[in-house]
Amino acid sequence: MPSDIFSHREPSPSSHGKDGTLSGMKVALQPNMSVRGWPTEAGSMALKRFVALENATVVERLRGAGALLVGSTRMSELGFGLAGDSTASAVSGGHADCALITDTMGESRIAASMAGLWAFKPTYGIVSRLGLIGLVPSMECYGVVAKKPQDIAPVMKVIAGRDENDFSMPDLAIPDFHLDGEKEDAVKNIAVLKECPELLTADEAALFRSGLSRLEKAGFNLQEASMADFGLFRTVHQVVGSVEASSSAGKYDGVRYGHRASAAKNWNEMYLKSRAEAFGLPVKAYLFQGAYFQFENFDAFEDACRIRARLVKAMDDLLARVDAIALPTRRKGYPAEKAATVGQVYDAFLLTLAANVTGLPALQVPGIVSDDGFDFGLQLVGRRLSEPHLLSAGALLRR
Amino acid sequence: MEYESVIGVEIHVELNCATKMFCDCPNRPGDEPNRNTCPTCLWFPGAIPKFSREALEKASMVCLGLNCQIQERSAFDQKVYYYPDLPKGFQLSQAHKPLARDGWLDITGEDGKTKKLRIHHIHMEEDVAKLVHETEGRTPISLVDFNRAGVPLVEIVTEPDMRSPHDAMEFIRALRTQIRYVGSSDCSMESGTMRVDANISIRPKGTDQMNTKVEVKNMNSIRHVGDAITYEIQRQIACLQGGEPIILHTRLWDPEKKVTTAMRSKFSGPCVPDPAVAQILISQAWLNEMQARLPEMPAQKAERFIRQFGLTREEALMMSAERDLSEYVETVINHGIKPKTATHWLATQFLPALRERRQTIADTTVNPDRFAGLLSMLERDEINANAARAVLNQLFEGDDSPAALVEKAGVRQISDASALEGLVEKVLAANASAVADFRNGVAKAMGFLIGQAMQASGGKANPKLIREILTKKLGA
Repeated sequence: MPSDIFSHREPSPSSHGKDGTLSGMKVALQPNMSVRGWPTEAGSMALKRFVALENATVVERLRGAGALLVGSTRMSELGFGLAGDSTASAVSGGHADCALITDTMGESRIAASMAGLWAFKPTYGIVSRLGLIGLVPSMECYGVVAKKPQDIAPVMKVIAGRDENDFSMPDLAIPDFHLDGEKEDAVKNIAVLKECPELLTADEAALFRSGLSRLEKAGFNLQEASMADFGLFRTVHQVVGSVEASSSAGKYDGVRYGHRASAAKNWNEMYLKSRAEAFGLPVKAYLFQGAYFQFENFDAFEDACRIRARLVKAMDDLLARVDAIALPTRRKGYPAEKAATVGQVYDAFLLTLAANVTGLPALQVPGIVSDDGFDFGLQLVGRRLSEPHLLSAGALLRR
Repeated sequence: MEYESVIGVEIHVELNCATKMFCDCPNRPGDEPNRNTCPTCLWFPGAIPKFSREALEKASMVCLGLNCQIQERSAFDQKVYYYPDLPKGFQLSQAHKPLARDGWLDITGEDGKTKKLRIHHIHMEEDVAKLVHETEGRTPISLVDFNRAGVPLVEIVTEPDMRSPHDAMEFIRALRTQIRYVGSSDCSMESGTMRVDANISIRPKGTDQMNTKVEVKNMNSIRHVGDAITYEIQRQIACLQGGEPIILHTRLWDPEKKVTTAMRSKFSGPCVPDPAVAQILISQAWLNEMQARLPEMPAQKAERFIRQFGLTREEALMMSAERDLSEYVETVINHGIKPKTATHWLATQFLPALRERRQTIADTTVNPDRFAGLLSMLERDEINANAARAVLNQLFEGDDSPAALVEKAGVRQISDASALEGLVEKVLAANASAVADFRNGVAKAMGFLIGQAMQASGGKANPKLIREILTKKLGA
């Protein structure tokens, strides 16, 4: 039964692993994560009445471990931004113990920071994307949102791992999510980027600094580091992301499912009208931007790919010297839930999208950087495959 | 002014893999429409392509068979265009980093000299769905059959080294032979497993300028490729002579009217690297494994047939042109049949009989063992050539051994000289006038007498022996 929070509510959720590590855990999904037989419209008219034919690998694994999939929430169109997304409310409102949010530019982390929750974005490529209806294949992944970091590790342990049907997964050694006992000193040195405060207002910067002092009190070593190109993450994300989105959304033609325009003279016009009517404004603008780079300015796309490789290397180099990088999760004047244009969406996700561009893991910690009830959230971006360390650091901060 | 043509071809070859290129659906495009489909090849949301190892192997064998350099790193791109045969809005194709580059094939030019034609590159791509245009009452409708969507293809792109329709046709024949040898495809233009597009331009003879080219499609036989190129060259010359510029576009060959007509261009967009299909890295070990799978190729095999079996070049080329025939003839020879006999009987009797019955070497019951059995009886003079031809026909009808069929038909040859002498005596007595003719120098009377003797023996006499006896008796 649909509600403000759920677009689909499973009347009696079932699982097939009664004794699994997630036995009895209630998990909420977004409606772009395929569960056979569930309406899977991904928040878009372009997928109207689409019902998933197969289970996503993540869904199979969650059910196999005993998790109860309670339903799917409401989400922004194709997971681009957070307008209209209710997923974090499913957790904060007690309908689920944890939720999965498609993290394409920071959606899971920002949604969690808005709801005072924890969120974890894993290293790109350790969780199968089979069955995830996304928009930007090289940047998107499942983000896990929960009330405490201790709930995140068991979920990650279940969903991470090779999937022989997802050939896009790199051959990575999946980290060991130790569920009992935390290695407290795995994250010791945390870098603060010199360039980060330059992106913030004076108030935001001051607040961020006071939050950082709490990190020091908790025993972490803070050191200033520089990443001159930090400002380029946004541009690279937008150019590469919009091009991939344009390709990914090419399949929505309204013929086999989704909204189909009523009267058209020929198939070309039918495509044009169907797509024009199906997509909402921000997504449509984003697809146009991608098409612009594909058709009119491919050189810029190639430049962006090259710069992306450089940014990845710069972050990896920095993380070879420290254990994590601290960033605020969100900013005050740029509400993600209200972003109505591509520019506003990127403004809102300015501080989270670096982890998507680079594929690095990131943990959102609530209650560290806050002001009068507004929680900015704190992000710890870690080394590739260092997820257990980040989660341990999170557990330490919670105490 | 005298013109010469500059021709390059782009050839799509469907690989005979068991499955499609990015999913496990059967690679059988001819099945009942839309039977061989799944969420991946229908490109439903959430599907992820799963690259077939067999497709890579078969494609690599094509590259090796065409003397190409397989690249250490290759990758799939999304070739973006919107058309109902491509429901995901892009085709997975290796546009920027092809599987192989720099190949070549030798052909015999019109002047009889060997000519080396270069191949620019070979890339892999998936086939698109098939559109079927019908009418429902009076309303035209278009149906889409996804059986072909995702079928593995290689595209072979040549350099513009061809100068005539002859060159292009010879190149396609040579390419077909090589690919059939490596076993990656049957390369049939008639059934659509090989599709050839030709790029044609003309220039004043003797210059090396590269002028605007025109692409010609829709030829469904090698002969049509030659005809279409011939037509297109004439058309372009007429254009230039009429002061009309040549415009870059695509034309369709009309096999009925034997003309090319301009075709509305399909809007085609850019090629973007695909983020979901992993790049392909080829290791030396894997390459060695592929090279070890290469069979002896037709050119080497022909040379060996000349050296080892004493065949003429013409015979050797014919016997090595198809891999299955070359293996067949070699098996027959290994049964102890003289190479010349085997070659002659295959070319003049066996292959025509096979064609007549619409059989192939792969599916006929006349395997090399049975055929060699027949020829060995011929070579041992146990049957004569007429009987051998009759028994060959019977071999196609059932499973009996050649020896059993010879016994059943009672055609075992009479090579007993004393028995034949009596028979010859009777023939001489009964044909006194022919005997007289012969003695008066009418040479063809000998043939008549041999015929009479053969008839008297019921076709079973050894004709060589009859001739010997006749010659002796007539004192010629």
